[in-house]
Amino acid sequence: MSRTMSTPPQVARTEPSARTTARLGGYALWQLRDYLMDRGAPTMVVGALFGYMVSGPMMGAMKMRLERLSPTALAQMGGYETVRASMVTELTSTALELLLGTLVFLGALFAMNGIVANDRKLGYYRFLFSKPLAPERYYGQAFALHWAGFLGTITILGLVYQALVGPVLTTRLYAAVALVYLCYAGIAFALSAAARWDWLSLVAVTVASNYLWSSFGETRSALAGLLYLFPPIHRTGEVFSAVSKGTTLPWSLLAWFAAYGAASFVIGLVVLRVRRLAIV
Amino acid sequence: MIVFDQVGKRYRSWQGREVRALEDFSLEIAPGEVFGLAGPNGAGKSTLISLLLGFLGPSTGMLQIDGLAPRRYVERHGVSYLSELVNIPPAWRVTSALRRYAILAGLPSHEVHARVESMLETLGLEEHRSKRVRQLSKGNLQRLGLAQALLGEERVIVLDEPTHGLDPVWTQRFRDVVDQLRRPDRVILIASHNLDELARLADRVAIIDRGRLQRVVDVRANERTVTEGAPYRIVVASSDTRVGDVFPGAREVASGEFEVRALSLADINAGLVRLMQSGALVRAVYPVHSPLEQQFREAVGVQVSAGREESR
Repeated sequence: MSRTMSTPPQVARTEPSARTTARLGGYALWQLRDYLMDRGAPTMVVGALFGYMVSGPMMGAMKMRLERLSPTALAQMGGYETVRASMVTELTSTALELLLGTLVFLGALFAMNGIVANDRKLGYYRFLFSKPLAPERYYGQAFALHWAGFLGTITILGLVYQALVGPVLTTRLYAAVALVYLCYAGIAFALSAAARWDWLSLVAVTVASNYLWSSFGETRSALAGLLYLFPPIHRTGEVFSAVSKGTTLPWSLLAWFAAYGAASFVIGLVVLRVRRLAIV
Repeated sequence: MIVFDQVGKRYRSWQGREVRALEDFSLEIAPGEVFGLAGPNGAGKSTLISLLLGFLGPSTGMLQIDGLAPRRYVERHGVSYLSELVNIPPAWRVTSALRRYAILAGLPSHEVHARVESMLETLGLEEHRSKRVRQLSKGNLQRLGLAQALLGEERVIVLDEPTHGLDPVWTQRFRDVVDQLRRPDRVILIASHNLDELARLADRVAIIDRGRLQRVVDVRANERTVTEGAPYRIVVASSDTRVGDVFPGAREVASGEFEVRALSLADINAGLVRLMQSGALVRAVYPVHSPLEQQFREAVGVQVSAGREESR
């Protein structure tokens, strides 16, 4: 102990102001740091593992195919570098098609898991929101920073892939990943604001949407309109297939993803505004 | 400054049963007051504090701080709050936790460092500054909770069981801290089971039981009053049968210690005179319960029967 009983502790005083506001902008770096340490790092590890599991065997096969080609055949096909570049493009296309859907889903799941619900469950909300701070502002900023953090994570994974295999990061990839992520993350955010078991709810919504759209998407009954309450998750394959093949992105479909995610995010903010923080 | 007007809070349990946590609660707390909240476990103190911070909404009635709904007030001005359970993410380090809370409390960036250092020193946390929250002892965690509460200069301070887990040295220091926090424009609300602590710190104490306000005790005025019929303890030099002769019904609770009850102050004084005239050496006379404790016991209906205490 640094004090003795004879020296009572002194509380420094400053003049109170009429209105105080949390410096949320100043807190952004802490929120970004929290994302990278707690959520970005696991996303990166899982992404790297999946990437290795998918690309590793294909890389081996590619090397064997290259070694088996005779010098004459290589020359006829435009030389070693040209053939290798063509094979890498093929490999990357397959890897992207296999990986992106899972990576974006898991990235959103990791980023949003318990984003609101954990603070409520574990009681962290008490000190946070006794400060001059509105929950919807705090979590709204966290949502945006986690989005940016996830895109940063994708960039790092892409750069690693580029160093080991070949170029993969394109504007089209960022656009597709960012908007499909927005859809998943928006849903997860709304669920986290409203319920305790947000990750389980997100999995349930994803499975239910896939099943319902796949089973009843073609029906012409009036009830089929209710399917639009569910996100178009069954069509993420179309988006990532376009990215991997280098064809035109389905922008109307991406707009649907983005609108669904944004609407879910706004619902989450409204829930935060209206719902009381304490769990009783 | 703080107004509770017929506030009620009802919950529905998961079995569908209605729980009335708070009923018809009316109270006004003026600026400059240190106000205590006392009550048995489950009396409604925590619900009251959650309502005051806007973490819960009232089912009935109206609650305002400075004319604003609680959540609105908190989001505009902030409240210095120490909760009964100090919940801070366990992976955070002591200094970084305080920096984070200082930023959220709205402290300008150039003041954050100095204020955090000041709090570390005031609450004796310097040697723990690099530790993670999960490595702190109960007492140190409680001090960290208090430090984060006092980072700002809020006009409303709410401390829920503030000395829970503190050793006697820090309990005394906490009292010094509260004395320094007193300000004419500030309300300090302390919820505690420790009636002695409330008697020392608070100007008034509200006693709550079963979700209802039982009474509000003016602590200073209460100290000067003597409750008729309250039990007293008389300590004599050695076990002395004369005490029983002078005070019929006196019960020896320990060697040389007698409890007498249901007497007026005049009766006790007259009895003591007779006792001393008979040659007994009186070492001490004191009320068994402090005035506030006596009020508390009356308010929550604690019965004493055959030497055993029973609540309700």
